[in-house]
Amino acid sequence: MRYREEVPLLEAVALTRTYRTGESTVPALAGVDLSVARGELVAIVGPSGCGKSTLLHLCGAMDRPTSGSVVLEDRDLGRLADDALTRVRRERVGFVFQFFNLLPTLTLAENIALPLMLSGTRDSEALTRARHLGERVGVAHRLAHLPQQASGGEQQRAAIARAVIHQPALLIADEPTGNLDSENGARVLALLQTLNREQGLTILLATHALDLATAADRVVHMRDGRIVRIESRPALPEMNPAAVGSHTGSNC
Amino acid sequence: MSLFRWFNLRRLRQAPGRSLTTVAGITLGIAVVIGIQLANASSVRGFATALDAIAGAASLEIVAPGGPLDEERLRDLPWLADYGAISPIVEGDASARVGRDRYEAVRVLGVDILRDRSFRDYQLLSFGGGSRQPAAQDFLRLLIDADSIVTTEVFASRHELDVGSELELSIGDTRRPFIVRGLLRNEGPARVLDGNFVLMDIAASQLAFDRLGRLDRVELRLPEGRPVAETERAIASRLPPGLQVERPSRRGEQVETMLRAFQFNLAALSYIALLVGLFLVYNTVAVSVMARREEIGMLRALGLTRRGVLGLFLGEAAVLGVVASALGAPAGWVLAQGAVRLTGATVNTLYVTASTDVPPLAWGHVALAFALGLGLSVVAAAAPAIEASRVTPLAAIRGGDRAEVRARLHRTPLIVGIVLLLIGWALSLLPPVDSLPVYGFVSAVAIVFGIACLVPAALTMVTRGGRMPLIRLFGVEGRLAHGNLIGAVPRLSVSVGALAVALAMLVAIAIMIGSFRQTVIYWVGQTLQADLFISTARRASLGAQPTISPELERIVSSHPAVAAVDRFRIVNLTYDSRLVVLGAGDFDVLLDHGTLVFKEPADGRAAVRSAIGRDAVVVSEAFALKAGVHAGDWIQLATPAGTRRFRVAAVYFDYSTDRGVVTMDRGTFARYFGDRPPTRLAVYLKPGASPDAVREELMARLGGRHRVFIHTNASLRNEVLRIFDNTFAITYALEAIAIFVGILGVSGTLLTLILDRRRDLATLRLVGADRGQVRRMVVIEAGLIGLVSQALGLVGGLALSLLLIYVVNVQSFGWTIQFDVPVLFLLQASAALLVATTLAGVYPAQIAGRIAPIREPDE
Repeated sequence: MRYREEVPLLEAVALTRTYRTGESTVPALAGVDLSVARGELVAIVGPSGCGKSTLLHLCGAMDRPTSGSVVLEDRDLGRLADDALTRVRRERVGFVFQFFNLLPTLTLAENIALPLMLSGTRDSEALTRARHLGERVGVAHRLAHLPQQASGGEQQRAAIARAVIHQPALLIADEPTGNLDSENGARVLALLQTLNREQGLTILLATHALDLATAADRVVHMRDGRIVRIESRPALPEMNPAAVGSHTGSNC
Repeated sequence: MSLFRWFNLRRLRQAPGRSLTTVAGITLGIAVVIGIQLANASSVRGFATALDAIAGAASLEIVAPGGPLDEERLRDLPWLADYGAISPIVEGDASARVGRDRYEAVRVLGVDILRDRSFRDYQLLSFGGGSRQPAAQDFLRLLIDADSIVTTEVFASRHELDVGSELELSIGDTRRPFIVRGLLRNEGPARVLDGNFVLMDIAASQLAFDRLGRLDRVELRLPEGRPVAETERAIASRLPPGLQVERPSRRGEQVETMLRAFQFNLAALSYIALLVGLFLVYNTVAVSVMARREEIGMLRALGLTRRGVLGLFLGEAAVLGVVASALGAPAGWVLAQGAVRLTGATVNTLYVTASTDVPPLAWGHVALAFALGLGLSVVAAAAPAIEASRVTPLAAIRGGDRAEVRARLHRTPLIVGIVLLLIGWALSLLPPVDSLPVYGFVSAVAIVFGIACLVPAALTMVTRGGRMPLIRLFGVEGRLAHGNLIGAVPRLSVSVGALAVALAMLVAIAIMIGSFRQTVIYWVGQTLQADLFISTARRASLGAQPTISPELERIVSSHPAVAAVDRFRIVNLTYDSRLVVLGAGDFDVLLDHGTLVFKEPADGRAAVRSAIGRDAVVVSEAFALKAGVHAGDWIQLATPAGTRRFRVAAVYFDYSTDRGVVTMDRGTFARYFGDRPPTRLAVYLKPGASPDAVREELMARLGGRHRVFIHTNASLRNEVLRIFDNTFAITYALEAIAIFVGILGVSGTLLTLILDRRRDLATLRLVGADRGQVRRMVVIEAGLIGLVSQALGLVGGLALSLLLIYVVNVQSFGWTIQFDVPVLFLLQASAALLVATTLAGVYPAQIAGRIAPIREPDE
């Protein structure tokens, strides 16, 4: 039933990322290998500070690794210049965050339409598509409102609409339900699952929420900047052990 | 205290851009105020020190109204000696030739040295035996000849003169060589005008100044212990009509009165730059409060009192104020150097000979700088600091108060703004206070704040209305910029207000000056009808004016191309304790050739004709306004023959001096003031004669004996406009500074907004905006801010210009200016400013472009 391609959509190899704060250096990622196939929904879990967000940033073309490589659809993101990275984000990646991150001065419709507008789509067309998508994610009655006039759940659904309006290959979601009550959290989860199943959207999400993790095809456990374990959903065949590599059981 | 250090000072250090911008803004504001104070002080000081140095020990002086007093009349006053020692004085200005074509003004004092030694402290530097206290007969020997002078060691060393050197002085129109017989040490009168001082024997000076038998004044030194006021009254009661007893200090007071309006206006203007600087303080503290609500809430949650929060933010403003004050005072001194160069020319041309030295920075100025910088900064910060103190501990828990982003449009500022404008209008109707337009300026301040209060409404209106055009013009960046502006209205209002205020002042001043200039051009065209104007090379500051010699007059009138010569005589006269100009001209010639532009009555020419041979005068508008007289009224003038009544036949427009001019026919003048040589000649040529050719021929005939200015009609008109433009150069300079401060404010605010919106900008980058798009968005925002400021500035400036033209100018200078908008200049200035504000967005745009799509690692 699930459609998988041979070539993974995303391939991270020996990925490290070190932040320099003042004189000390903080290794946020200490060598991560991860491969994500098209259409997969992968959840990353782990305690705060384990490197989840850093991994998402690197996979989403927001940041460059200190070493190692991350390849998204044949593009080695670490080697791209800023403008090229921007283009990758604009065309191939969508983002959803814990705090929604809608621009407070734009209406929900405008927020949703923004990626299309930024890549040069005509405003009217972008807005039409945004409204259309807004209806599908259930915020039709809020499209002309500013973010702060909408509820958290509505904002997050609008944020998801913004993330997928340009039909990206990969959706990056960082704690998408972290700031929502359980009911709204469930609606957002359902929306993500729908997108994943019905449109084959590849989703890489970081979460603390168990129900979110259980909805995933695979759950990647991280600690101290490393992957410590990868679980596949029982219904699915076990992953190739090579993808887990030597990290299994090393730190966790 | 350590909380203040941690919470506020560190923040200031962390946002150096904003702190520096604010400090720079206030510093400039303070510097301008201090600079103008110093410049004003320097022009008065130059004159006052000259006065003090020359006044010596005299406590009273006897003068004749309108000029020299007849020596003969002294003989009638033998009783004067009963009151104290007396010394007759001749005083005047001359040009000393100090190089091939270089001349310097010198003050010439003619005294009876035997009598005068007890009045003034003369110390000779190089003198026969080397004695520094020469005996009276030594001095006498020095000044025995009509061509002997004593000058000062300072002047001599500056121009490499020594005892025995020849020095050419131009007195009136005549050049004459003199021999330097001695040099005075830098004491007493020798300190006049930085040593530009010449001492002569009184008879020699009468000869040189063409005032044989005449004195400028008789000084009186009272014995120790004799009360001055009582003696003054006693002498006044015994003096015959036409003589007056005065205190020497009165001349200084008159000069101060004369300069007061000019300096008051400059000072008022200088405070505008400060005002704009204060908007910056308000803005900085307000932004700091808004951006840190969470932190304030946290502090409150931890137990800091409201008063504590208030103290923190007032303290922040105080730190900015103190730093700016410390920098502002010396910066003001530097600015004063430039200001003096700009104003000195005006003061010299229009009022008195003044020195161009800037007095050193006194503690008073430093104190003023701190009072202004610190005091006003704290005042400006009061409102946002109070707002900060109202933040509840809940703010910390709620997380960043994003709900604030689109603040509702407050009605309050709109209403306050309208009320302020109404108050401004009402105040403009009030009369002047002590002939200064005090209410006029209070009205200007009300209008300025009124405009500032309208900013939020205007910004909201423009951004709402500007949505579609922006989107059409700039696409998605325009849409984003529009959204950002709408969201930032509360934060932007203050800096936009500041810029709008600065622009309004520029527009107002440009319109005022433009109107004034047009008026002057029209007036010059109407009034200056003569073909040639002949005047002495140096205008007198005060006292007797240099005169045209009969010889020169003969040379001019005998030229075959000359049709008529209007001999104009001016003297200084005290009217109602103010110095006015009394002029005497040939009304016949004036009626035949020249044209005055009359304000009243309708047929001014007939009125002038009726004044010939009668006790009647025509007066300038400035005089009429200040004295409160109209055509048909009678005024009393002090004359050497006693106080006389004159009918005001007509009032005419005059822009040559704001002192006020009273003009009478030469016949009338001669009857009361004696037939004196003219100070200016207006020459009318026969038809067909070339003014330039006649000018050349006259110059050739005058040869080396005379030094005069002969202006053709065209060159005099240019000269008038040159003086006009010089006079207003300082005004533009002040305005430019205010606008610079305003643009600084806009740039600073944009920067703050960007730092504050980091997260939104990062999101924008995340969803695919490239650096260029972000930069364009910020620059569009800056341009829009410029546009709104500009629009408000134009409207406000128009209102202010009406105030300046119809209230401030009339009240302080007493002249009517025809309203005229310098459209071209305003268009150019608007375009330039729009570019400037847009450019002010470039740096913030760079910063914005550098914001990465992810935030700092905070996981």
